[in-house]
Amino acid sequence: MQLYLHVSCIIRSMIQTKDLTYAYDDSEQFSFPDINIKPGKHAIILGPSGIGKTTLLYLLAGLLQPNKGSVSIEGTELNSLSRSEIDRFRGENIGLVFQQYHFVKSLNVSDNLRLRQSFPKSSLDKTRRLELAERLGLSEHLSKKVTNLSQGQQQRLSIALGLIHKPKVILADEPTSNLDDKNCDKVIELLKEEAKICNSSLIIITHDYRVKSHFENQIIL
Amino acid sequence: MKIAYLAYKNMVSKPLNLLLSLMLLMLSVSLVTFVLQLSQQIDEQLNKNIAPFDMVVGAKGSPLQLVLSSVLHIDNPTGNIKLKETEIIRNHPFVKTAIPISYGDNYKGYRILGTEPEYLNYYNAELAEGEMYDKSFEVVVGYNVSKTLKLKIGDSFVGSHGLVASEDDVHDEFPYTITGVLKQTGTVVDQLLVTKQESVWESHNHEGHDHEDGEEHNHGEGEHEHHDHEDGEEHNHDEEGHEHHDHEEGEEHNHDEERHEHHDHEDGEEHNHDEREHEHHNHQDGEEHDHGDEGHEHHDHDDGEEHGHDEDREITSLLVKFKNPLGMVQLPRFINENSNVQAALPGFEIQRLMNLFGSGVKTINGIALAILLVSALSIFISLLKTIRERRKELALLRTYGLRTGQVLLLVLLEGIFLALIGFVLGWLLGRIGLWGVSQYLQDSNGYQLRIIGPDMFELLFFGIIFVIAIIATLLASVSIFKLNVAKTLSDA
Repeated sequence: MQLYLHVSCIIRSMIQTKDLTYAYDDSEQFSFPDINIKPGKHAIILGPSGIGKTTLLYLLAGLLQPNKGSVSIEGTELNSLSRSEIDRFRGENIGLVFQQYHFVKSLNVSDNLRLRQSFPKSSLDKTRRLELAERLGLSEHLSKKVTNLSQGQQQRLSIALGLIHKPKVILADEPTSNLDDKNCDKVIELLKEEAKICNSSLIIITHDYRVKSHFENQIIL
Repeated sequence: MKIAYLAYKNMVSKPLNLLLSLMLLMLSVSLVTFVLQLSQQIDEQLNKNIAPFDMVVGAKGSPLQLVLSSVLHIDNPTGNIKLKETEIIRNHPFVKTAIPISYGDNYKGYRILGTEPEYLNYYNAELAEGEMYDKSFEVVVGYNVSKTLKLKIGDSFVGSHGLVASEDDVHDEFPYTITGVLKQTGTVVDQLLVTKQESVWESHNHEGHDHEDGEEHNHGEGEHEHHDHEDGEEHNHDEEGHEHHDHEEGEEHNHDEERHEHHDHEDGEEHNHDEREHEHHNHQDGEEHDHGDEGHEHHDHDDGEEHGHDEDREITSLLVKFKNPLGMVQLPRFINENSNVQAALPGFEIQRLMNLFGSGVKTINGIALAILLVSALSIFISLLKTIRERRKELALLRTYGLRTGQVLLLVLLEGIFLALIGFVLGWLLGRIGLWGVSQYLQDSNGYQLRIIGPDMFELLFFGIIFVIAIIATLLASVSIFKLNVAKTLSDA
């Protein structure tokens, strides 16, 4: 049994892509190198602006369908799923931390977190919510409107929303682009720490070379 | 967290939009339900009240007025007619029953109607307690009257002249005594005090004796002003009063100088009363009276209240029920062409009235429909705006794992909540309006409207609004189907 688990760990990847190509139109085509990330391992995808980093992230999250090639997450081929199955799969297994912060503005901080816990399958784990808020320094702001949060608080909430449902993969898009060196290090540490707690693979897509030193596994586009 | 909760939060997050959409919807719903309830209930009430009688015969004038006054007891009577003039009608083979009614007085605004006990049978009015009136000045009171004025058996009161409540001009020498209280019938009877016709005749005969020498009295309004009575006797006859007053003895009264002199007594009333007494004494001398009407037969002559002017006896109108439907066709025409009285068909007159009323209802419904369309448009625009503003949020929800259908449901629920709240508030507003009108009618006419739960039409109307809201929402949510999550989220 133990042997089997060990073997499966070796042969299976958390994220694997093959010959991934995406074209917005004829003039804007992106081809991506194959990616293979083992469970619990982290990676950084580096590249200058305009090379299609965000496109790659959306392809990995199943938000875009590749023109060619495949993405599989923990053995599940995204191409083989229907649109709504992808939605559900993404909701359960992937945590997204966006470059721009997206919240539901009519809900307060706590309700935004609850909302993320409610879909695609409801698991309103209050302890998890409070612990996460505590660790991210949001405890005192839970009843605040999201629009009343400071920039830093919004960033932390954005991270919390990417993590709260304990996803297998955390995809973070330029999480450090607006931050100074000190805060940059803090946020990266925070993400790594949370990923460790959830036993998730953390994939950061960035053009910020400050982040480079934090990760062994580097994919340069 | 449920999608419904999020929809609710989204809805209340834009209070001004919400207010506008709700107000429009409320306005439209309240207008439609209010007007329909009002017209339905009035129609219902009118039909219920006119149902017992096929024809009404009264003094010449407006047939509608005759029906309103004599059957529905809301307008002023057209005047009085001589009882003997109705003889031919009462004996006509087509006529099943003919019930004479006489008006004269009111008690605190409720009309005192002199008629035969059979009148009450036509409205299925049963006694809740007490007994039917038997003698003059005994009275049974309708349900609402007894409730409102807190009257009970054994109570006595004096009527005031005319058909509207007034403090002056009371017949305080003729107190009525309550012998019975009627059960609720939901008809005009609830608003009446019913007594023997003789009560009305007698209390007004007395007035006739005021002007006993049969002078011509003409109660013109202006003329009253030069009545200069030291004793401040009641000469403030309002218009309604005059009609009865005038006709009770069938005399044309003209307040000339002689008349004034006659009234120049410190205690005019008392004096007149005495005269009446004298008159009674005369009757007790054993004069025989020939009563044309059956109802008079068991009248107690001994109490000295009978007067021998049967030919001059006047009634306000005669309520007729036909034996043969042919009567409906032949009699009214015959009466109107060949006599000094007029016949009116309540069904026909009320139908005419409701047709007039109906076009008003249609107009208001048209306006309400226009408002409803504007309200649907407002919901549509407001949701369209909301969806555009929330594109990113909707895309975010998609990344959380909500399917397109669930996102659509979110927007749809917002539209449905709007429709639901708007309808309920509008419906309540309509009912509050109805209640207000009911209070007003209660005060002015004694009519009461029922405040009932939503009826079939209103439920149907809700269904229509519901469907309109769903269509408006779906039209507004077309963009959700082609929402490009990736692009929406990356757009700055």
